[in-house]
Amino acid sequence: MNFDALAQRALDTATQRGGRYADIRFETDRSERIEARNGVVATLSDSTSRGYGIRALVDGAWGFAASSDLTEAGIDRTAARAVEIAKAGAAIARRRLGETPPRAYTDTFATPVRRDPHDVPLGERVRLLLEAEKALHVSPQISVGRAWMDLWSIDKVFYSTIGSRIEQSIRQTGSGIETMAVGEGDVQTRTFPGDIGLYKSGGWEIIEEAQLRENAQRIGEEAVALLKAPQCPSGTFDIILGGSQVSLQIHESCGHPAELDRVMGWEANFSGVSFLEIEQLGKLKYGSDIVTIVIDNTLPQGLATIGYDDEGTKSITSDIIRNGMLVGYEMSNDTARSIGRESNACVRSQSWEFVPMIRMCNLNLLPGDTPFENLFDDIKDGIYMESNRSWSIDDHRLNFQFGCEMGWEIKNGKRGRLLKNPTYAGITPQFWNSCDAIADKHSWKAWGTPNCGKGEPMQTGRTAQCAAPARFRNVRVGVGYGG
Amino acid sequence: MDSARREALAQRVLALSGAGQTEVMVHSGRNELTRFTRNAVHQNVAESDVSVKVRAIVGKRTGVASTNLTDDTELRSLVQRAIEMAKLSPDDPGLPSMPAGGATQAPPGAYVRETATASPELRAQMCDTIFKAAEEHDYWCAGFVNTSEAGVTIVNSSGARASFDGTDAAVNVKMNATDSTGYAEGWDNDVTRLDAHAIGKLSSLKARDSAYPRGVEPGEWTVILEAAAFGELFTYLSDHFSAQSFDEGSSFLSDGLDKQYLGRNVTIVDDYAHPLSPGMPFDYEAQPTQRIGLVENGVAKNVVTDSYWANKLNRPNTGHALPAPNAYGPQALHLVVSPGSKSINELIAETKRGLLITRFWYIRTVDQKKAIVTGMTRDGTFLIENGEISGGVRNMRFNHSILEALNNCEFANALHRTGSYSYSVVVPAAKIEGFRFSSGTDF
Repeated sequence: MNFDALAQRALDTATQRGGRYADIRFETDRSERIEARNGVVATLSDSTSRGYGIRALVDGAWGFAASSDLTEAGIDRTAARAVEIAKAGAAIARRRLGETPPRAYTDTFATPVRRDPHDVPLGERVRLLLEAEKALHVSPQISVGRAWMDLWSIDKVFYSTIGSRIEQSIRQTGSGIETMAVGEGDVQTRTFPGDIGLYKSGGWEIIEEAQLRENAQRIGEEAVALLKAPQCPSGTFDIILGGSQVSLQIHESCGHPAELDRVMGWEANFSGVSFLEIEQLGKLKYGSDIVTIVIDNTLPQGLATIGYDDEGTKSITSDIIRNGMLVGYEMSNDTARSIGRESNACVRSQSWEFVPMIRMCNLNLLPGDTPFENLFDDIKDGIYMESNRSWSIDDHRLNFQFGCEMGWEIKNGKRGRLLKNPTYAGITPQFWNSCDAIADKHSWKAWGTPNCGKGEPMQTGRTAQCAAPARFRNVRVGVGYGG
Repeated sequence: MDSARREALAQRVLALSGAGQTEVMVHSGRNELTRFTRNAVHQNVAESDVSVKVRAIVGKRTGVASTNLTDDTELRSLVQRAIEMAKLSPDDPGLPSMPAGGATQAPPGAYVRETATASPELRAQMCDTIFKAAEEHDYWCAGFVNTSEAGVTIVNSSGARASFDGTDAAVNVKMNATDSTGYAEGWDNDVTRLDAHAIGKLSSLKARDSAYPRGVEPGEWTVILEAAAFGELFTYLSDHFSAQSFDEGSSFLSDGLDKQYLGRNVTIVDDYAHPLSPGMPFDYEAQPTQRIGLVENGVAKNVVTDSYWANKLNRPNTGHALPAPNAYGPQALHLVVSPGSKSINELIAETKRGLLITRFWYIRTVDQKKAIVTGMTRDGTFLIENGEISGGVRNMRFNHSILEALNNCEFANALHRTGSYSYSVVVPAAKIEGFRFSSGTDF
């Protein structure tokens, strides 16, 4: 569908009504999900949604209105509503927040896809999940088995009054398995890959990479083994975190606090604020010298990889933490200008009906030079943890507590017994400054997070954090279980 | 879109289906939210949409498709997609027939015209009132004013027909002082009953009274949780009342009903018609929702079901289905905890040393079976000494079992509606003994 005429109408209407700047984003989203659960297909769904969102800037105040009414009358009404809303905000404004974006682009972007998932017959997709789910049931103690697959396509066209026209076709794919074992007065879960499945930009190749069928029996056996495993001890230990857990640690303790809107108080009432205050830029030693965390929204297969963000800014790479030092933020046009910088294209919206806002994108901890197996070498008494089970962090992003599905004791450099219910806790900068080894590129992986919540109305974002396993010294372990 | 047009659309789609059984849900909604920070509006949004969902059953196989494209071609395609998916799905022997529904009536106060027609100017005026409360103290505030309306119509080939229109409104304020913050909120189906001035003032007073916070030692404390804090904690029990969790072993009730799990002063019901939170009288299968007792004086009495789990467990269908497709099982979406006999001020006055907590943040389950959760205090945590609030304290992290809390608690005598984007409950404030904090913060 060509939206050029409707877009021009919307931008003209917004301008005539008093908008100094306006943009419109048409989006068609298709979401397909299959979930096998305990031997049956619990979900087989196919959802399509098409609509548009209009932003209008009036006297430094933004208004946003969205609708699925694609008639000319609907476009007129929605554009007028966006301006009306902006004016209502401007009337009570104590200061100006909004600025016109600095430059326009005319371009296209499409996610590289090696194999279109729709070329795989639906029956074959369902069969893969049923087989993987069945393989989880290794014991009568397996109470729940799940196997799922998500195929997402987003086709959008962005137009603005400064002349942008950006057309993008984004394809994202994910799948996973999970099982719950019940027995011994306990409930234990195992998930694979990682703690939420494997989610990336791309096509059927992402499903094949996950290798669900090949790993399901092992995951079921691990869940049952956890029921009888000893409780993870409480105390202070050196720990090694698996790659997917490091990914979540980056997400919660670096990705969110580095959102510049949060730093500026825009999320204060809900998601919270940030300890990465602007006056700390270039001064705060966030982590040890080996900790470098970068935004790369051009990363092949990154779940958040796109050509342009939802303000029409071209994707780039930029630093957040360089050799342990805080050097940057995730930014929008407005927030970047307020600190004398330019946007690094971190503005996204969940879909057409949501206002674009700063979102974590691909945020990567660069790999170290230690082979994974050598991370264990000089740990006398420690814990290795894998696959997240619970996560909580305060509204400044300092005091955190995470739990994992599995742990193993480490004795004299060797991985030992399986442990259940491992948890660890800390304060963000102390924790990252205790990082003394990061595994090398051979165990570095892009872990997608398809369910990141932020904003009001709440929006779900799709982010990725590339990470390898890493070692941290003197960490508090066993919190929540007596520690 | 009004209910008559939704029903006409739903019947039109139903007539297109040749599946053995078909259910059509039409949802229309409008949501408008004005969000502010540092005493200025920074996000001001309005969104409206109409969507259609078809659940087709062919034999014992199900497919679900949805769209917001409502021309004839798209609707025919929608029905065909649902049927084709159903045909490719394997048999589910436990799949029951679609329920035939029944008569329902929306509870009084569920739909309020003033909320449905609230303008951006009205929300801006309410924000301005809150800004002035902040400026009186030289504070800055962040929060939102939200108004919304939603309509749901469900019809199916078993003859069920149900429609509901509801509205909702909310004000949420975090007030920020130099070294302290304060929070207040209001939730109501009727926007005219939300007093922005009072909410702004209360959040200011909390910020003022928690200034110069001191650190206290983690460990076991007597805590008084205001409704917003207790409601968020309590919500982490809601899945335990699902027949699915009950049957699969992850619920604390999985050892059986009619047992004493909680304190004798704990009574919990699911009530869609509670005057503080009147909601939809049927579920997403058009089955009338029962107002149901879940825990009476600490004894577990019921779990909630939908048609699938009622059939599987041979229990009555209580009308608690979520929208299809649903892998989470039936859910109690209108939980109400019965109040106690004393005011919150009396509970404070009876406390020799304890903490008054306004609000929690980022609660997550640590241990499902034991219902241990962790989370943080935020936006107004106070020390109580000798029955009086003596000042603010720095925030702390807790790790505690909700079951243990509900065996050592006393409730205040007033009920409040509280919630978030993901839940809405009606609860009193709660005094809990031996609540465990594991660490602190510098703020």
